[in-house]
Amino acid sequence: MVTQQPESNWASLAIVVFVLCCLLSTVRILGNAPRPAPLQPDSVARRSDQRFASLKTALPTRGVIGYIGEPGNAGTADYYLAQYALAPLVVDNSENHFLVIGNFPDQPNEPAPANLKLVRNFGDGLALFSNQEAK
Amino acid sequence: MALTLAVLLCFASGYFIAALGWPRRPRPSDFAVLDSLAAGCGLGLFSFVYILSRAAGNNHLIATDLAVFGLFLVAFLLIRSRQPAQVSGPTENWQASFAARRILTAVFLFALAAALYAAITRVIVHPHGEGWDAFSIWNLHARFLFRSGSAWSQGVSPLIPWSHPDYPLLTPGAIAHFWTYIGHEIQAVPALIAIVFTFATVGLLYSSLTLLRGRISAMLASLALVTTPFFIGQGTSQYADVPLSFFVLAAVSLLCLHDSFVESGCTRTNRLLILVGVNAGFAAWTKNEGLLFLAALIAARVLTVIRGPASNTSVPDRTAILSIAPLLLGTAPALLIIAWFKHFIAPPGDLFPDRALAIHKLFEPSRYGAVLRWYGKEFLRFGEWLLIPGTLLLIAFYFALRKPEPQTRRLAPGFATSYLALSLTLAGYFVIYLITPRDIYWHLRNSLNRLFLQLWPSAIFLVFLLMTPTVKIPAQISGHLPPATPQ
Repeated sequence: MVTQQPESNWASLAIVVFVLCCLLSTVRILGNAPRPAPLQPDSVARRSDQRFASLKTALPTRGVIGYIGEPGNAGTADYYLAQYALAPLVVDNSENHFLVIGNFPDQPNEPAPANLKLVRNFGDGLALFSNQEAK
Repeated sequence: MALTLAVLLCFASGYFIAALGWPRRPRPSDFAVLDSLAAGCGLGLFSFVYILSRAAGNNHLIATDLAVFGLFLVAFLLIRSRQPAQVSGPTENWQASFAARRILTAVFLFALAAALYAAITRVIVHPHGEGWDAFSIWNLHARFLFRSGSAWSQGVSPLIPWSHPDYPLLTPGAIAHFWTYIGHEIQAVPALIAIVFTFATVGLLYSSLTLLRGRISAMLASLALVTTPFFIGQGTSQYADVPLSFFVLAAVSLLCLHDSFVESGCTRTNRLLILVGVNAGFAAWTKNEGLLFLAALIAARVLTVIRGPASNTSVPDRTAILSIAPLLLGTAPALLIIAWFKHFIAPPGDLFPDRALAIHKLFEPSRYGAVLRWYGKEFLRFGEWLLIPGTLLLIAFYFALRKPEPQTRRLAPGFATSYLALSLTLAGYFVIYLITPRDIYWHLRNSLNRLFLQLWPSAIFLVFLLMTPTVKIPAQISGHLPPATPQ
């Protein structure tokens, strides 16, 4: 097949084995690819841009706002998705701001902390609070 | 219309950067290298222009781009008339029958098509990127740049944990630049930039090896890359590791092409070293690991020069010593921007909060053992290959086909520099893990595979370069593909 003189047979065998081993991983690439029908986008846009669209209109366009959310790994992802949607606002994961977002997608009936006053409830576990004690 | 103009300006400016560094008038066989480089250089330039425009309060982005494009066009036209027309097309190291070539080409195209299919479906399903870093770091930074206007630096805030505000801005800057042309954010931009970097890396590997070793070597090497599942997955994830791997490969492959041009008597090769520096600079502007690579590359070049000329080459001492200057010159624009960004804009990084503790960790033997074990494990599995690790396969292939070399043979300076730079970069990663302020196992688990991936295309390139004997790019003018060169 392919030769690198003078060991042509050995080189051919090596190349065939090399190519076949490479192609094995192509099977994995195709196997890991999303199925062609139906190709549905993941939940990032729904959990960030769409979820925070109405809240965004009630917020200042710049500056820093506070944030409270659910604990755990899912809560951490929710925080980053909130920050992603609300940029260029900086979302600080702290109550110590005059305006504080409450984001509880899995526990929409979570009671508000006592030091926060509800400004507006956007539904689906999303609310805007004010913190009069914020420094 | 606006997007088309942006793409044209980006690619054309990138092409002129690459062509300005090319030491001869481009021949048909050169265009694939220049086109691959153009994609990365154009995006790097777009990032520079965007960040500097924002910093200067310049809102006339299209006019700025046209001016930059015009400058490069004029420089290109001026320099083209002086470029020598010597040197022929690629040299083929391996002989193959027509049928064998056809089969190999078909296999390669099949693997490439499979990778492209997987990449396209992945970005359709994950338009905002795959994994947290895409939306918590890279695309978030792009949004801050685009949405904040002149107040863009407010987004570089330490109040957002894990957003790594000290990370360089090549990909976010390029994304925001395109969004500014369009006037709004569309997620296709970061997705397409991710795909462009992924396949430009494959293109660069293929085209540079075609010039140095012929098409069979190039196809086999590119096959090894394009069938690495983690490369395709990461390439479309909208992280910055594959863009960094592109610029590392660009610097490494251009250094090795420099060896061949020098050996074949080509003049004006210093401009190629400037291009090496430009690409190493872009690497440093892509990720902090790129800054480590840049330092490693300069250190490696200095060490290679101090060590002396390769005994089996005609590269003189003086040329090697002088070669450091154009390399440094090429890195200067990126280094200036990075220094300004790190000093005046970004907060300190999170890797060195306590120097005394970091030094103390250097004397803990258990940490060395932990990092070594993970290096060993990830060496075999980082590519997510099926059954046979690609790293082992590459090593086995090398030993199966290598030819015994005379003991006196020394490596060409570009190759030696590249090899040493990658080794120093790996050693640098090792030290970072030793002193990391985070849990060492957590840090290794979450990043080592991506760090290995950053160097994987260059490692494939160097192995294939080493496997087949050094070839001089023929100096005579020739319009056809020369026959195989017996070594």
